[in-house]
Amino acid sequence: MTDRATAVETRSLTRSYGTGRRGGSEVYALRGVDLSVGQGEVHGLLGPNGAGKTTLCRILSTILLPTSGTARIMGRDVVRDADAVKRCIGIVFGGDRGLYGRLTVGDNLRFWAALYGLRGTGLRRRCQALLERMGLAHRADDRVDTLSRGMKQRLHLARGLVADPPLLILDEPTVGMDPVAAQDFRVLVDGLRADGRTILLTTHDMAEAEAVCDRVSLVDHGRIIATRAPAGIGALISRYERIEARGVPAEVAAALPDIPGVVTVRAAAGERLRIETEDTSATRAVLRRLVAEDVTEVATSRPTLEEVYLHLIGERGMTVER
Amino acid sequence: MLARLALPAHVVRHSAANAFADMRAIYTWRTWTFGWLGRMLAQVTFFVLLGRVVAGPEHATYLVIGNALMTCVIESLTVVASTTWERTAGTLALLAAAPAGPTWVFLGRSLQWPVSGTGTSLVALFLLGPFFGVTWRPEHIPVAALLVVLTAAGTYCFGLFLAALVLNAGRLRNVVPGVTALLMMAFCGVQVPIGYWPSWIGRIADIVPLTHLLHALRALTEDASSGYVFARAALGLLVGVFWLVMAHLAFESLLHRGRRRGTVDFDP
Repeated sequence: MTDRATAVETRSLTRSYGTGRRGGSEVYALRGVDLSVGQGEVHGLLGPNGAGKTTLCRILSTILLPTSGTARIMGRDVVRDADAVKRCIGIVFGGDRGLYGRLTVGDNLRFWAALYGLRGTGLRRRCQALLERMGLAHRADDRVDTLSRGMKQRLHLARGLVADPPLLILDEPTVGMDPVAAQDFRVLVDGLRADGRTILLTTHDMAEAEAVCDRVSLVDHGRIIATRAPAGIGALISRYERIEARGVPAEVAAALPDIPGVVTVRAAAGERLRIETEDTSATRAVLRRLVAEDVTEVATSRPTLEEVYLHLIGERGMTVER
Repeated sequence: MLARLALPAHVVRHSAANAFADMRAIYTWRTWTFGWLGRMLAQVTFFVLLGRVVAGPEHATYLVIGNALMTCVIESLTVVASTTWERTAGTLALLAAAPAGPTWVFLGRSLQWPVSGTGTSLVALFLLGPFFGVTWRPEHIPVAALLVVLTAAGTYCFGLFLAALVLNAGRLRNVVPGVTALLMMAFCGVQVPIGYWPSWIGRIADIVPLTHLLHALRALTEDASSGYVFARAALGLLVGVFWLVMAHLAFESLLHRGRRRGTVDFDP
């Protein structure tokens, strides 16, 4: 058994698929992933479609076997001890998938509770407590089809919690939700963190990752390319400092790329110019030039998580590969 | 033993709640009675009248019994299509990741079909039968009803096995039950006696519950000994249990292969 404080641990985890063609090469969904998530941590997996996030979650959920490497949940191997792992995890989807629309809210929850071995009074109490916690008790007898997206997502969360698992895997949980419902959902996730539960969250939403995650891992081409706390992730590309200026004359803008250390110069929203520099000396040179040209509406900042993502992964968010 | 069976029964019960919620969403009692039941009674009548014209009125009794029992077979085979709903609803991955075995979930999940099919067959047998020369003695009625229940249940188990095969080939979900029903109508003694066909077809027909239970039902209406009727019914029951075991193995194999090949996905 591994360290008790580790909830999820993968070592050299690899998953490949045959192309289905004779002589075709293997396609790798995961390549040697090493990941360690502490108990009680909210950990985000960020990456474009096809990066390997969902493959990783499927392996951790026991529904997909790794090609090589190991994965452990609460010290239990997901391949050799799958039955025990199943009782340690709750899976929460986003959107409409994963719920029975024609069943009532209460029946949905009772169905899943039965599958996790709950019975009788224990089942009823657990379901009632979850419905109350998720603010769904008043809709318990309504068909799921009639719920709003936000309510469905709360039911998803209740379903994931029905067996009281120490680890929750949230797969794009706020996809398609309006901002208010998404914010409500994040408050619920904060409550689960307070319970001491470990949460593994896949998302495309940088704001969500920054808001709820203790650490995030950037995933691309089946590899984890960085794992950091959201607040410190800008350090990964700290040489890219950002300057934004409004009202920069065209000839000045054209000359900025010639300053040593300037990485990119491009137009941003609101008629602003965004300049990225490799280091502080380049930043100072750009600021001196702008001030010398009477450009006074200037701001500097560190890269956000979104910018780090775009720098490291690129704008391939819609690329699907497997 | 009872304790070991209690948990699966509990899972089947909650899964069946899902099945009957589907039934309530699909049918009201009016649409079931005047839509589904009316259609099936028309189908039975059609085949009986066709048989009378082609083969003579003496065949009407044979045809009405076969086609009336066939209605519960057709409906029970709907389990093949409805099992694939788990994939389209995106719940298959959640079922695969749950500790309860998939067989018990799927066993309960489509129970509305054999129940509804039993009702359809009973109406067809007891309402249409007498119009076409079938005589029901009072003591025959509970036995006939039991045979209908066993036929629906046995066919349901057979359908579950087919469903496990079709779960990874969703495009076949309506083709497989349709073709299967057609073959059963032709070769299991519904329209023509099994002896009409080469003997090897009869041997294949023996692995279908309908063959034995229809034989038992015909024997009942022909006043055969109760021992003979129950022996054929027991054989039908045994074949049904065989298909349940096969369905269990097929579902376990499906999920095992799904883990290896990656065919159980989070997305529908």
